[in-house]
Amino acid sequence: MLLRILSAEFLKIRRKWLWVLVVAGPLGVVALQGVNFGLRYDYLVRGKQPGEVWDALIGDVSMLAMPALLMGLAIVASMSAGIEHQMNAWKLTLALPVSKRQVFAGKFVLTALLLLVSSALLVPLSAAFGLTLGLGGGSIPWSDLLTDAFYPYLASMPFIALQAWLSVTMANQAVPLTVGIIGMIVSLFAGARFPDWVPYKWPQLAVSANDPLYAVAAGVAFGIVVFAVGLTEFVRKDVK
Amino acid sequence: MASDTILETKDLTKRLGGKKVVDGVNLAIGRGDIYGFLGPNGAGKTTTIRMLLGLAKPTDGSIRVFGKDIRKERIAILRKVGSLVEYPSYYGHLTAVENLEAIRRLLGVPKARIDEVLSIVRLTKDANRAVKGFSLGMKQRLGIATALLGDPELLVLDEPTNGLDPAGIQEIRELIKSLPGKSGVTILISSHLLSEVEQMATRVGIISKGKLIYEDSIQRLRDQAKGRIRLSVSEPEAAWRTLLSHGHSVGWENGVLTASQTDNRTVAGIVAQLVKADYEVYRVEEESASLESIFLEMTGTEGSL
Repeated sequence: MLLRILSAEFLKIRRKWLWVLVVAGPLGVVALQGVNFGLRYDYLVRGKQPGEVWDALIGDVSMLAMPALLMGLAIVASMSAGIEHQMNAWKLTLALPVSKRQVFAGKFVLTALLLLVSSALLVPLSAAFGLTLGLGGGSIPWSDLLTDAFYPYLASMPFIALQAWLSVTMANQAVPLTVGIIGMIVSLFAGARFPDWVPYKWPQLAVSANDPLYAVAAGVAFGIVVFAVGLTEFVRKDVK
Repeated sequence: MASDTILETKDLTKRLGGKKVVDGVNLAIGRGDIYGFLGPNGAGKTTTIRMLLGLAKPTDGSIRVFGKDIRKERIAILRKVGSLVEYPSYYGHLTAVENLEAIRRLLGVPKARIDEVLSIVRLTKDANRAVKGFSLGMKQRLGIATALLGDPELLVLDEPTNGLDPAGIQEIRELIKSLPGKSGVTILISSHLLSEVEQMATRVGIISKGKLIYEDSIQRLRDQAKGRIRLSVSEPEAAWRTLLSHGHSVGWENGVLTASQTDNRTVAGIVAQLVKADYEVYRVEEESASLESIFLEMTGTEGSL
C-alpha cells in the first residue's frame, strides 16, 4: 500500500519544480565551490598533492552542503505537503480507502527520498569537479565522498521528520518554513557553542567527529521518534 | 428495511468548541435510495458527511455503513464509497487524467476506469488539459468522476452544485439522475436548496441546527406542500361571512379570502356564491406552497426573531 501511495505521490509532484530543486541544490553547492576553487586556484590547488586537494574539496563541499540540506529539506517538505494544502486535497485523499498512517508516511518518505537523491548527487558532482581540476581519476577517495554525502543526510533525519510533520499538519506554510530557516541558522552556529547532544549539531558531527557514527545513529533514532510523534498527532486529528 | 439499510447513524453527535454542531442525528439510508440531505448553511450537513466518511471522529454515537462500524472498518467501508466533499479538491497543475491516475493508484482499479468515468462526466475532450484552467462546473464534474472511479456502491456528494451557474446545476443534476439507472448506486446528496434535490431524491432528511428535524419520502413532503386558492373581492369581510354562512370553509386574512380545498368544484362553488351575492371578484389565484416554503418553515422559524 505504501508503494501505491508513493507512486501517486511521485505522479503528483510532476511539473512542480521539485525535481529541479532536488538537482539544483547539490549542483549549486558544487558550482559555488567551483567558483571558490577557480578564484583561489593558486592557493588551493597548485603544487598540492591530489589527496590534499580532495580533502579540501570534500570538506568545503560538505560545509556548504549542510546548510543547503537543512534549508532544502524544509522547502521540499513544504512543497510536497503544499500540493495537498493548495486545493485542500486532504479530504479527497483521506476519504479514500487508505490508512491515515500510510498517507503521512508517504509524505515523509517522499521528502526523505527526494533529499536522498540530492545528497547522492553530491557524490558524482564532487567527483566530476575534482576531475575537472585535473586530479587523476585513480585518486578519487570514494569512501570519503560517500560518507560526507550520506552521513549528514542521515543525521538530519529528525529535521526531515519535523518539517514533514509541520508542513503536513499546518495549512499555513509560513510556520514550517520559518522553523526550517531558523533551524538552518542555528545549525550554522552550532559548532562550538552547543554540546554534542543538541540535534542541530549532529549533521556537522556526522562529518567532523572522531566517530561520526554516533551522530548518524542518534539522528536516525531521534528521526524515528519525531516521525512517530507526528504520525500520532496526524492520525488523531480530524481532517480539515 | 433493516436488512437493506446501507447507512445508519445512531445518536450521531459532534461537538466543536463546546457547541453541538451535530446533535443526536439518526439517519437511515436504504439501498438504491437517492437521499437528499437538506439544511441551511451551517446546519451540520458537512460535519455529518465528514463523520460518515471517517474524516472527522464523532463525539458520540455510532455510524454503520454496509453493516460495518466506521471506527473499526473504515478502510473496508471506504473501498465501496465514492465521495465529493464541499468544493472540489483537485491538483491544479495536473491534467484531468493525471488527477484521476493519482487516485487510481491509491484505489488499485484498472486503468480503463479512467476513460470510463471521464466519459460518464463528459470530460473526455478535456482529459489532457491542466485542471486549473477548468471552469467550476468542469472541476465539479471531475470531482464526480473521481468519486465514481472506484465503482462505489454508495456515492456521497456534498453540495455538488454549490456555486455553479444554472446551466452547470442542470448538468450536474442530469448527471446524478442518470447514475442509479446505470450502476444501481445509492446516493447521499446534500444541499441547502430543496429545489435542487426535489427532482431527483427519493427520500429526504432535513437537518437544522445540528438536529435532524425531518426524515421521510419526498412524496410525504410533497403532500404537505398542497396549494390554496386566494380570492380578492370587494368587501372581503362581508363576503367571508356570506361564504361561511353557506357552508364554505374559507379563511380571511389581510383582506383576502383563502380556501385550502382547491378542487374545481369547490372553487366554482365559492365563485358562484360570491357572484350570486353581488360581490365583485377581482382575482382568483392559486398559491402553491412550494416545498421551498415548507423547508423554510421547518428550518427557519426557530431562529427568526
